[in-house]
Amino acid sequence: MVNLPTWTALAPTLLLALTAIILLVVDSVDPDTSNNELLAGIAGIGSLAAAATSAWLITGGTGLPGESGALITFFGDQLVADQMYLFFSFLIASVLALVVVASYDYMREHRYQAEYYSLVLLAATGMSLLAGANSLAVAFVSLELASLPSYALVAILKRNRGSVEAALKYFLVGALSSGVFAYGISLIYGATGSLQFNDVAQGLSGGPPAALLGVGVMMVAGGVAFKTASSPFHFWAPEAYEGAPAPVSAFLSSASKAAGFVLAFRVFVTAFPLDVVSTTVDWVIVFQVLAIVTMFVGNFAAATQEKVKRMLAYSSVGHAGYVLIGLAALTGGSSDTFVLGSGMSHLLVYGFMNTGAFLFIALAEYWDIGRTFEDYNGLATEAPLACGAMTVLLFSLAGLPIGGGFFSKFYLLMATVNTGTWLLGAALIINSALSLFYYSRIVKAMWIEEPAASLEIDSYPVGLYTAVIVAAIVTVLLVPGFDAVSSTAESAAALL
Amino acid sequence: MIPTQYYLLLSAAIFCIGVFGVLTRRNALIFLMSVELILNAANINLVAFSFQHGNLSGQVFSLFTMGIAAAEVAVGLGIVLVLYRNFSDVDITEATTMRW
Repeated sequence: MVNLPTWTALAPTLLLALTAIILLVVDSVDPDTSNNELLAGIAGIGSLAAAATSAWLITGGTGLPGESGALITFFGDQLVADQMYLFFSFLIASVLALVVVASYDYMREHRYQAEYYSLVLLAATGMSLLAGANSLAVAFVSLELASLPSYALVAILKRNRGSVEAALKYFLVGALSSGVFAYGISLIYGATGSLQFNDVAQGLSGGPPAALLGVGVMMVAGGVAFKTASSPFHFWAPEAYEGAPAPVSAFLSSASKAAGFVLAFRVFVTAFPLDVVSTTVDWVIVFQVLAIVTMFVGNFAAATQEKVKRMLAYSSVGHAGYVLIGLAALTGGSSDTFVLGSGMSHLLVYGFMNTGAFLFIALAEYWDIGRTFEDYNGLATEAPLACGAMTVLLFSLAGLPIGGGFFSKFYLLMATVNTGTWLLGAALIINSALSLFYYSRIVKAMWIEEPAASLEIDSYPVGLYTAVIVAAIVTVLLVPGFDAVSSTAESAAALL
Repeated sequence: MIPTQYYLLLSAAIFCIGVFGVLTRRNALIFLMSVELILNAANINLVAFSFQHGNLSGQVFSLFTMGIAAAEVAVGLGIVLVLYRNFSDVDITEATTMRW
């Protein structure tokens, strides 16, 4: 292949940032424009280009060590463009593309569309930058670049009380946890004298003050738990996902969660290597407790919900628990690559199926049929295609072998078996079985229950339909394609 | 020279005041101020440790933290503004249309 200049390895992030700026320019040239096609078109092309570039760079081997055996890094090792960065950039940009296509219909009547699209793209820029962060300073800055537009996005329906309340709660918890995260960074800097991940790991071997380090690591874990919506920092998630416009919920619950996890993988595996810190602060135990609590809290709360969107919000908390197995089952042995790789693969599959499910909710909100399970009764008589796609997505979320969700959960289970962490495996099985119950409630409402007399659908929006159906098709295609995903993920995890 | 421990004590005290404010105050503006206290506690640590370790990355990072804190307050004030318009109050316990 041709030799590209090194900066092109950051192309996904650059493309996302550039698209956001183009949107702002278009808006300032013609502030009154409500040219929906133009704005959504620019955002869609930008995000698809970013996704395609990441995929192309991965297949071209850009993320692998070069001839000198070193990874491509920028600004004195502050940013690293390895396979993990490209893998997560692909995931974030794909989710973004689906969300933008759906927003074409959903945000059609909204007054500030250019701002909406540029905020989504800026948030995605931050998330993809977070995937390449190789120092605590870059991690903090890109975490905020991802968070600040997200707060504004949740509040974008500014006359809607639910949207404003959701933004308030998201912001309150987010601001507090970013403060705690910053304080944790300052303590780790104090203990090791540097912010760059590899240097932090080196500073650790000199026997740093244990108390400083321990508190710092716990605070950083708290910041990560917020971003990934894991217990005990998950309280914002159901509120924010329920109140926000559904495409924004889809974006936050898939892409934002993935960005939080890539930060967790990098910080804990690279900067706090298990063999050095396990005597001071054994973070594997912390993540084991968090994983189990998060799985049970998310799934049991989801099972008791009356509103579909809130149920999906809690199920997304539960899925954060599954992915946490990717950290909780680490042992420092040879199976670590497989464990981390399974967590990453689950995030990718989950990205598509969860985005699709939330975009189906967006479709239901667009039709204005109501929020509870009963409101979905007999929906399949009116919209069989969308309901069929939703059924595939839900069963894949539950882990039935109809979509990629089966294999990714199976790999996570294998990871717990390989490392002998039986408790995590048992929690995974129990919660997956429970999740089948509440996902089936929607399927039952849509296909089996009699429709209410007032149920009537008068339009079939092209953008929302495309997004939901593409998400379902990709989920199904990930059954034969899962091998490629998991091998890429494992090769990326091996480089950490 | 003042030992680094004293800076740590000061920053820990400011951090605790901030957390206390976040947990107990109901006014959204006071909440924002409390978050600022937490971030500035981190800044004190960073600058003190930077001096102790003799490298500048901590001081430079504290500049970034200040910039981000300002951006965060800007977004926060925007949310407080729409909160006031919709609920006619800046009390964060008033906004309860959703319950689990």
